[in-house]
Amino acid sequence: MPFKLLREVLKVGEATVPYPFVAVDLTPGFRGRPQHDPAQCIACGACAVACPPNALTMTTNLDEGIITWQIFYGRCIYCGRCEEVCPTRAISLSHDFELAVMNKADLYEQADYRLAACTRCGVLFAPAKELTYVLALLEQSGVTGDELAERGALLAMCPTCRRKNDIVKLVALNQEAV
Amino acid sequence: MIELAEAKPKVGQKYVDAMRAQFGGKILEESWQAAEQVTLMVELNSLPDVVEFVYYRLGGWLSTVVGSDERPINGHFAIYYVLSVEGDETETEKAYVVIRALIPPHQPEFPAVASRVPAAVWYEREVRDMFGIQPVGMVDKRRLVLPDDWPPELHPLRKDAMDYRFRPTPTREEENYEFIQVEGEGVVEVPLGPLHMTSDEPGHFRLYMDGEHIVDADYRLFYVHRGMEKLAESRMTYDQITFLTDRICGICGYAHSVAYSTSIERALGIEVPARAQYIRTILLEVERLHSHLLNLGLACHFVGFDTGFMQFFRVREKTMKMAELLTGARKTYGMNLIGGIRKDILKEERTQVLQWIAELRGEVTRLVDILLNTPNIVQRTAGIGRLEPNVARDYSPVGPNLRGSGFHRDIRVIHPYCAYDRVPWTTISKTGCDVLSRTLIRAEEFFVSLDMVAQCLETIPEGPILTEGFAYKPYSFALGYVEAPRGEDIHWSMLGDNQKIYRWKCRASSYNNWPALRYMLRGNTFSDAPLIVASIDPCYSCTERVTVVDIRKKSVKTVAYKELERYCVERKDSPLK
Amino acid sequence: MVTDYKRRDTLMGETQYAIHMDDQTAALKGALLHDIRRSIFVYRVDCGGCNGCEIEIFAAITPIFDAERFGIKVVSSPRHADILLYTGSMTRSMRVPALRAYHAAPDPKVCVAYGACGSSGGIFHDLYCVWGGADQVIPIDAYIPGCPPTPPATIFGFAMALGILSQKLKATHHVEGEDERVQPRHPELPLDLRVDVERESRRMAGYWHGQQIADSFLNLLKAPASDIERNIQNFLAQKDDSRLTEIFGRLSEIYLMRKA
Repeated sequence: MPFKLLREVLKVGEATVPYPFVAVDLTPGFRGRPQHDPAQCIACGACAVACPPNALTMTTNLDEGIITWQIFYGRCIYCGRCEEVCPTRAISLSHDFELAVMNKADLYEQADYRLAACTRCGVLFAPAKELTYVLALLEQSGVTGDELAERGALLAMCPTCRRKNDIVKLVALNQEAV
Repeated sequence: MIELAEAKPKVGQKYVDAMRAQFGGKILEESWQAAEQVTLMVELNSLPDVVEFVYYRLGGWLSTVVGSDERPINGHFAIYYVLSVEGDETETEKAYVVIRALIPPHQPEFPAVASRVPAAVWYEREVRDMFGIQPVGMVDKRRLVLPDDWPPELHPLRKDAMDYRFRPTPTREEENYEFIQVEGEGVVEVPLGPLHMTSDEPGHFRLYMDGEHIVDADYRLFYVHRGMEKLAESRMTYDQITFLTDRICGICGYAHSVAYSTSIERALGIEVPARAQYIRTILLEVERLHSHLLNLGLACHFVGFDTGFMQFFRVREKTMKMAELLTGARKTYGMNLIGGIRKDILKEERTQVLQWIAELRGEVTRLVDILLNTPNIVQRTAGIGRLEPNVARDYSPVGPNLRGSGFHRDIRVIHPYCAYDRVPWTTISKTGCDVLSRTLIRAEEFFVSLDMVAQCLETIPEGPILTEGFAYKPYSFALGYVEAPRGEDIHWSMLGDNQKIYRWKCRASSYNNWPALRYMLRGNTFSDAPLIVASIDPCYSCTERVTVVDIRKKSVKTVAYKELERYCVERKDSPLK
Repeated sequence: MVTDYKRRDTLMGETQYAIHMDDQTAALKGALLHDIRRSIFVYRVDCGGCNGCEIEIFAAITPIFDAERFGIKVVSSPRHADILLYTGSMTRSMRVPALRAYHAAPDPKVCVAYGACGSSGGIFHDLYCVWGGADQVIPIDAYIPGCPPTPPATIFGFAMALGILSQKLKATHHVEGEDERVQPRHPELPLDLRVDVERESRRMAGYWHGQQIADSFLNLLKAPASDIERNIQNFLAQKDDSRLTEIFGRLSEIYLMRKA
């Protein structure tokens, strides 16, 4: 028996990987640190809604007119739900795993985005970038000219004003019909 | 209640008929959640009779007991006893029979079943902790789940008790759990933990010793109680919980995730695509691979064969790499969605995994051979830590622990799920009832799992891996179950409204294995205690100190746990002397 | 060492039990980090983890990753420890044992919060029966995030806590630029085609493979119409993966239906 064991051990030889002197071999789909590309983010909050441990959060500051996206790597479980639900691929799980810190504050990443004000009532209601992106999508889906302008104007209104606008239009249509 | 479409034949109807013949009008209501899942509502006072009848007369095994505060729905508390009814040895019809009773809110008590069916002891203590519903006739008045510093009148799972984030002031600074008292000439009490030896979770053990022999044992677990069930019922939506269930156990988390997902899929009548079923099967077996290698490594360690321990951990890394390749994480975490799976297997992954399987087959064959030919392995494990078949029958333990005592019981066969009825494989059981049998089962199951992963990869069907566009049905409920590496994991889920879960109860395999451990320790020597605890595979954790209490002298002696572990390995110079 | 108990019922309270370190201990600790010239002994304190972290620590000290080659050794008593490694979300029941282990370890010592639960409470951060991370009870010097941290992440964490490797992660705070705009993907193609292809691709292969497959397919559609079919055939022949061919078949159906 000891002979068998010795043979096995000798056959295997050096089993240890040379990390940290050589980069460790990771599989292509390894889920490491979620990497946020703030320029590509529209602050829609889909990731924060999906995030099971609440590592991703969104907070609005109406006084300053900004919405803040935040990730706390100390709470992240690296499930990749944020990557899965992100409509603009602003966040994806990287191969980065060397995340240890001495200072807890370094586990946070934040990004501030401007909130757009409703063109009717002036209330802050949605990230400006999100509205611009929706317009770009409308263009991509073939909406042009007057229709694009009209839908753009609607988009710039808060949901309440949009509803009011709809009612006014509906009443007008009804009156026409009568 | 959701009535299942009549199309599927009901499996287990004859058990329902037998119960009706015995109890007649005491059975108030019958509803089927799936073809082999029936819930029967019975009169509260007939509960012990009915559960005992199903357990001992119809060949039932207690899978879980669910307490539920259904006052907002129907004005009552409810309790569900979930039994896997399997008849005798020759029986082929197997079904889950759930016995439900309503408990009036003004008199929150029910007749304890535990005096008739010992397997119910822990469950009924847990229901008392979490809901404040008293099991009348329960001898054991101690807490099970809640910490010693928790206020006595606060029952977290009552819907009106508290916010899930509420943290009451600790009522005390010291633990006050009352361990059993064993009296006798020369009996020495040995407390271990909570930061200690062989368990997954921190746990506090007391061994009652007569010289070198264990007379009895008692333990306090649930040091890791976090309040997951309350979390699932409050903060999370039903489709986020799959990521929570991964984190029930660091080793068989994926099994829990599948058990949860299938419970919801069954409740909502979602047909999971065949390809996703195969991938789930592959991942479940990959999980068994790394879990069994871990336990085999530990078996080496506890018989003093540390080189073997290191060698098993070396080859185990290949199974971890397999998990990383197939899921993106070394822990098979984060792979389930309600309705399917999150990652497909393409050619590159398939080829690589098949190659690793071939390598592992050779490596582990050689290591197991080396382990079994180690001179003292049989001597240290044969006849040690016996789980007698009658004790097993009374306590419903699960997994290799039960299969080592001659029961041919594996949920993958009894209640096939995923692709287990589509690929050929065999269950392993042994009759030695000892540590050796349990170790051999794990070694053999490792190779069965290797074959199964290869089979699934070779015969995996085409098609999608996710079902979308299903309807959320408020208040529907069902069971989900998986044979995890340590045995049956079972989840009972009831949907609420507003994309939430109303009640979710999960039961991990070790929960059913712990209560019988006391009987497995009795009569063995002190030095074999870590080996026996490890043989039920509760994983192992931190170590601390062992305090030896001599009841006669009322003196306390502290022994470093390392000493006990060393003693287990070397068996020289007992620290008790 | 003074343990200061401030008791009150809380809804997700912050630090309850502050431990104050005197100047002498702090100085000793600085010396430990800079001048240590021997092996480092680590004691693990499981404060309510799922065991995932514990197993990964074992993976880190066994042959493949072998942290012991750097002298990092896991010991079985806090009395021997230089580093206390706290895993788990700090459950109520483990608060007192965690403190006991802390006081048992001789000064100077380094306390490390390990894993998502240890660092912050993780997915359990706001629950009734947890305190939400090791730093709610014990003063923590370093954090190793991960769920669980992989063995290389563990080795990196130890090396960083001991000052051998330097910290890589830095807090960032982005402020939206004046002309920051997000371009839709594949603007050359109709939106509904892109959305349908991406959705079907995810249904067939999951989000991760799905994104890559959808992108390859959509990129192939950007060629002149006459070349598309031949390009797809060439692409698939080169990959030689029957599953990929099956998925491309489904995507092609969507494309043909949209075109018609």
